[in-house]
Amino acid sequence: MILKYIEFLRSHMAALKKVLIVYLIALVLFDVLLSRADAHYLIDKIYAFWTIFGIVGCFLLIKVAKGIAHLFLAKDNDFYG
Amino acid sequence: MDKWVHPALFFFIGSLLLPFFKGKAKKGIALLIPILSIIDVALMQAGTYGAYRFLNANVVFGRVDKLSLIFAWVFTIMAFLGALYGLHRKEDGHYIAGSFYIGSSLGAIFSGDYLTLFIFWEIMAFSSVFLVWYRKEQRSIDAGYRYLLIHIFGGLLFFMGMMLYYAKTGNFTFTRIFPDQASLPEYLILAGFCLNAAVIPLHAWLPDAYPESTVEGAVLMCAFTTKTAVYVLLRGFPGFEILAVMGTAMTVYGVFYAVIENDIRRVLAYHIVSQVGYMVAGIGIGTELALNGACAHAFAHILYKALLFMGAGSILYMTGTAKLSKLGGLYKYMPLTMIFYIVGAISISGFPFFSGFVSKSMITASAHETGRLWLFGLMNLAGIGTFLSVGLKVTYFAFFGKEAPIEAKEPPRNMLWAMGLTSALCFLIGVFPDALYILLPYKSEYHPYTSHHFAEMLQILSFTGLVFFLLVKKLSPEDKMNLDVDYIYRKGGRIFMWIDNRIVSPIDAFWGELYRTLGLRLLFINAKISYAFDRTVIDGIVDGSAVSVRTLGFVVRKLQTGRIQAYVGMSLFIFFFIIWFILMGR
Repeated sequence: MILKYIEFLRSHMAALKKVLIVYLIALVLFDVLLSRADAHYLIDKIYAFWTIFGIVGCFLLIKVAKGIAHLFLAKDNDFYG
Repeated sequence: MDKWVHPALFFFIGSLLLPFFKGKAKKGIALLIPILSIIDVALMQAGTYGAYRFLNANVVFGRVDKLSLIFAWVFTIMAFLGALYGLHRKEDGHYIAGSFYIGSSLGAIFSGDYLTLFIFWEIMAFSSVFLVWYRKEQRSIDAGYRYLLIHIFGGLLFFMGMMLYYAKTGNFTFTRIFPDQASLPEYLILAGFCLNAAVIPLHAWLPDAYPESTVEGAVLMCAFTTKTAVYVLLRGFPGFEILAVMGTAMTVYGVFYAVIENDIRRVLAYHIVSQVGYMVAGIGIGTELALNGACAHAFAHILYKALLFMGAGSILYMTGTAKLSKLGGLYKYMPLTMIFYIVGAISISGFPFFSGFVSKSMITASAHETGRLWLFGLMNLAGIGTFLSVGLKVTYFAFFGKEAPIEAKEPPRNMLWAMGLTSALCFLIGVFPDALYILLPYKSEYHPYTSHHFAEMLQILSFTGLVFFLLVKKLSPEDKMNLDVDYIYRKGGRIFMWIDNRIVSPIDAFWGELYRTLGLRLLFINAKISYAFDRTVIDGIVDGSAVSVRTLGFVVRKLQTGRIQAYVGMSLFIFFFIIWFILMGR
């Protein structure tokens, strides 16, 4: 049964992508429309701060981690013999 | 002592009875032991139990309060889930090692003094190493020895601190230490605790050993060692600023490695470093909310991390590998395992309605409230890395992605049940956080379900997802291993061997040769002189009589011819000689 659902989603990838894009836009709108008066953190006063934080943070993490790994961290599996 | 039964006893005694049973009875007892311990914890009342005078010191086996109880709850629940997951395993030794490990963890959290704590601390190390060795591969045996080496080192730090503390105060009482009171003894104890909590740079034993342990052993190991260390840090060292900084560094360090690692269990092991980092940071921040957060996060973490290790273990158990570069398309064969794994992954990432959402945010909120904005920002960055590596990378490359030529099926039923129950707990804690908050030791109000928190977490996680799918090719798993600080002692060991082979051994060989050629000759000359002295002087004086007796003996021997007529003749001759002698005497 679970398999059926997954296969169904996989066969409708284009539609799924559209739904997800709509979800992301809705999420940003939700944040923008939130009342800033009762903001928990100072940064919450900035519109869609966490969207930008998520995008930049994730991008940096991938680039830096993979970059350093390729620079000197990654070794063959039998490095220690 | 009143009606208090140490829950460790169930594990110590129960596991030793196990080899005498077979089949269903054995499985029943394996499950009964943790159930009894859960009931024991449920019936426990706060107080001090099992206090004795031992070696001129006060030892306490049962310090029962809210702090020790919340850890006892999650440890015993985890013991049950771990036993259920490992029910198919045949070896009694594996079960006994696991039970001694769990029992000694419970012993450690209830101990009220350093001496008792130290003893249980060491039993933990020596029992858990068998969970690594039981995998019976050369890599595991080697990793187990390294694990032991590092833990013995940590134990020594703790022991030195404990002895200096005794010299300073005259007792072993384990209570809260304030940063301004701390000196060398306290810092040595802190270092010993930090090693077990995998605080960087003392963390490398964890991602080295856990991925090499048995499938069932890893599920236990990820729960007890680091969380016992979190407990003792909570008990002894709240408010130490260094812990706030190092803890936050751990959160980022762990996810950094998790992003680049290839083996699922290594990804998860680095995430222990990262998640324990949140707890250590909370302890360092030291406010009541932060300390409650550390407790709540330890509770939630034990469950979802065990769930993730169960999922990864199921993949390893069924396919023979946990390397992402060799996996792919498993959703077809192991859909239930995938769903349980995803529940663990979204719990650790802090999705709303799952356990991480209600526990991790207590620590980040306290970092913000106390004005530690850098730490707050870095912890949230680590949150991105958590979802990126555990949630997206592993799920995508193991269960989807390029299909690997592997056919697998769901793991045995007991493993599925254990994963299902753990998933349910992760969800229930997320939906009913008050059930967890009621167990917390300090009084502080916290409401996780605010619209801002909701929006914050969903934005961070969803846009992390977006970037992942844009850069998915960059993250393709590579069949490599990554260097970490264990390089120092793994290569350091080789330098030691090199010094031994190239410098110490040649000197030793030269010395041996010198001894053989010169030393032995001198020794022989000395022996000859002694021998000559002995023969001529000593024997001459002392053994002179011996030589005379020997000569007489020769004469007597010649007289004894063995012929009867000779003896009779000789006897008659002597007889007449005596008669003649008597007559002459007259």
